[in-house]
Amino acid sequence: MKLPVSSLEMRGIAKSFAGNVVLSDVNFAASPGEVHALVGENGAGKSTLMKILAGVHQPDGGEILIDGRAVKFARPADALAHGIAMIYQELSLAPHLTVAENIFLGREPLAVPALGIINQRALNERAAKLLSEYGFRLDPRARTGRLSAADRQLVEITRAVVEARRVIVMDEPTSSLTSSEVLELFRIIRDLKSRGLAIIYISHRLEELSEIADRLTVLRDGRAVYSGCRGEISTDQIIAHMAGRELKEIFPPRRTQRGAVLLKVSDLTRDGVFEKVSFEAHAGEVVGIAGLAGAGRTELVEAIFGAHPAESGTISLNGATFNSVAPASSVRRGLGLLTEDRKRTGLCLNLPVATNITLANVRALLRGALLRRRVETEVAQQFIAKLHIRPPVPDRPAGRLSGGNQQKTLLARWLYAGSKVFLLDEPTRGVDVAARSEIYRQINELAEAGACIVMVSSDLPEILGMADRILVMRRGRLVAELDARQTTQEEVLKYAAVEEEAPKQ
Amino acid sequence: MTDFIKRFLPFVSLIALCVVIAALEPKFLSGGNLASVARQTAVITIMAMGMTMVMVAGGIDLSVGSMLALAGVLGAKAMVGGSPVIVGILISVAAGTILGLLNGVAVATLRIPAFIVTLGALGIYRGLALLVTDGNAVVGLPQRFGLLSEADLFGLLPAPLLIVIITALLTHFLLNSTLPGRYCYAIGSNQEAARYAGIQVARYQVLFYTLLGALTGLAGAVETSRLITAPPNAGEGYELRVIAAVVIGGGSLNGGQGTVTGTIIGSLIMGVLANGANLLRINPFIQQIIIGSVIVLAVTFDEFQRRKLESSQS
Repeated sequence: MKLPVSSLEMRGIAKSFAGNVVLSDVNFAASPGEVHALVGENGAGKSTLMKILAGVHQPDGGEILIDGRAVKFARPADALAHGIAMIYQELSLAPHLTVAENIFLGREPLAVPALGIINQRALNERAAKLLSEYGFRLDPRARTGRLSAADRQLVEITRAVVEARRVIVMDEPTSSLTSSEVLELFRIIRDLKSRGLAIIYISHRLEELSEIADRLTVLRDGRAVYSGCRGEISTDQIIAHMAGRELKEIFPPRRTQRGAVLLKVSDLTRDGVFEKVSFEAHAGEVVGIAGLAGAGRTELVEAIFGAHPAESGTISLNGATFNSVAPASSVRRGLGLLTEDRKRTGLCLNLPVATNITLANVRALLRGALLRRRVETEVAQQFIAKLHIRPPVPDRPAGRLSGGNQQKTLLARWLYAGSKVFLLDEPTRGVDVAARSEIYRQINELAEAGACIVMVSSDLPEILGMADRILVMRRGRLVAELDARQTTQEEVLKYAAVEEEAPKQ
Repeated sequence: MTDFIKRFLPFVSLIALCVVIAALEPKFLSGGNLASVARQTAVITIMAMGMTMVMVAGGIDLSVGSMLALAGVLGAKAMVGGSPVIVGILISVAAGTILGLLNGVAVATLRIPAFIVTLGALGIYRGLALLVTDGNAVVGLPQRFGLLSEADLFGLLPAPLLIVIITALLTHFLLNSTLPGRYCYAIGSNQEAARYAGIQVARYQVLFYTLLGALTGLAGAVETSRLITAPPNAGEGYELRVIAAVVIGGGSLNGGQGTVTGTIIGSLIMGVLANGANLLRINPFIQQIIIGSVIVLAVTFDEFQRRKLESSQS
């Protein structure tokens, strides 16, 4: 296979965070007039690789070459100066500024350069010219915050085009677009290609790739496991490359004794986020929810918990329907949510571990109005010992613990609250191996004791190893229900990533 | 180690300050002078107890100075109209309670930053106090009402100091040994995490603003008794002194931190500074500069602590 001369090349890129190898020996290239797709599971290292290209992170090893010359990007401005522009997944526009002001943010045409006075007319005229050149029907004077998500995406693209002379990186550009808008985006991408730009296209939606990609690289566990022309590989083969993750853990065995239905969700809907989701979870069972980032899994469990209530549909616990409108009422009914973002919605970082453990069940510590601190310390010590929380100091601020110990602290909170239904959202994200196996052991213990566990996970080996049944979500819908003992990583990924309905069992 | 410094720095500063002033002017240590420091700081300290709760929970209330005037005026009007002294005091407390409740409900339900809501309330309550008095101080209060600020228990303990001690003990108990106190720290530390733990955040926020209002009403009665009149412009600028007491004492504008002992020390530091400066005949304008500098130093210290904690977390 012969490659054309690349305008941009990344060679042997390596990167670790706090001892965790995220990328090792990755080669990646982008050529003018070509769309190079970068695919991989969540956590495969795509974002890190692109952040290195954008100068946000510096590689530990390897080099970046532009037209054969090595360059170093110490900061994002360096990458921009070399004509590399990035469109991030999370929109990065200033909502109070106009379309034109956003497009030229940081490079405004000046009327009086010495005083920094902006030439507003030139700004709007140039923006209007650019927008019409690309066929975007946008008013340069409109406030960005008032635009639809799709229109904001167009503003982002226009801004990137102004910046980029060589490479545009698009990270999940279609995640907020409707299908007709996606077609429009593809038209724009082809146009950019014909102008000689190189485009790096990150997407979870594999069916899009056959349409738009010329070349394709698959990342898995921080390594480039496949690189070649799009036409040379089938979607099934791509999935096989993505899925071949090594099993790093041994999952402890569990005796599943399925009891009565504890949690029943019917037609749960929040417009544009998840739609008509229905499932049941039994006592003694671990139900896994798989899917790609943005599939609506976190939003679903937060709706069940009442943190962000759904718009319609019903939830029942132990046969009784209830309106899940606030965590307070859900917690009282025996629901517990181990949140995906423990720093934002989980821990009180400056408060002691003991306080964090007892927070959902402080009432149990009361005698009359008096909070019995000695009992609290004893309770904390019990859970610290049970879950091997390190260091074993109840009054240490939770913020000073490692990620794994923080996660165990939060798990202890729901254990102490006596929850019956545990919603675990990415329970082992950012958690070291020792803490992982501790968390797995606790999950098994809970299930064997008759609790009902609903576990959202992006880690395929984990979900296959821990769940009894796996529900797969794609774009807000449940698209498959699989028996964890009989399915494979490839099958789960296929439902998660490819537009194709499967019959529910 | 840094925890230790953080905990004791205000206390050590207070002691050092007293030693320096006493060395320069021995009269500082006389019983009469110390009692007058206690009287002068009592009103601020009583309000600062409530402010400690509100600020630990991550809130703030800028309207307390105006609230003090309105509560004081309403109580005074009742007494002038013939109500017994005790009823007048209770009316001040009740007025403060209602005003605090209004602040709390507005902050918790409108979801507008407390700073803005209570900045508005500052103007509204002051306007109301001026409106009901037509801009004139309420005079002709019963003699016995003066006892609230003048009486000495056993010839030793000034009555306002006794009120400070009782409110401080109750606030300390509430913050450290009750459910609302625990939730107070949790809400201030991380409001979203508290909500996800099943705490009804809004309900407790309202409670803390209401308690601050009640204490402000009580402080209003003490202030009226001290002045023997109820001027509608009473308590102007008190909100800043009350907030400063909490912050100097280790409370944080970001919530989740603050203690009753710290706040008392903060209030005393300001009171002793003012008293010492008077004794040493330091220009009162310079006093303001000194107190302003102390506030900035205290907040800077707090901010450095927080950054250090955050960097040790990542």
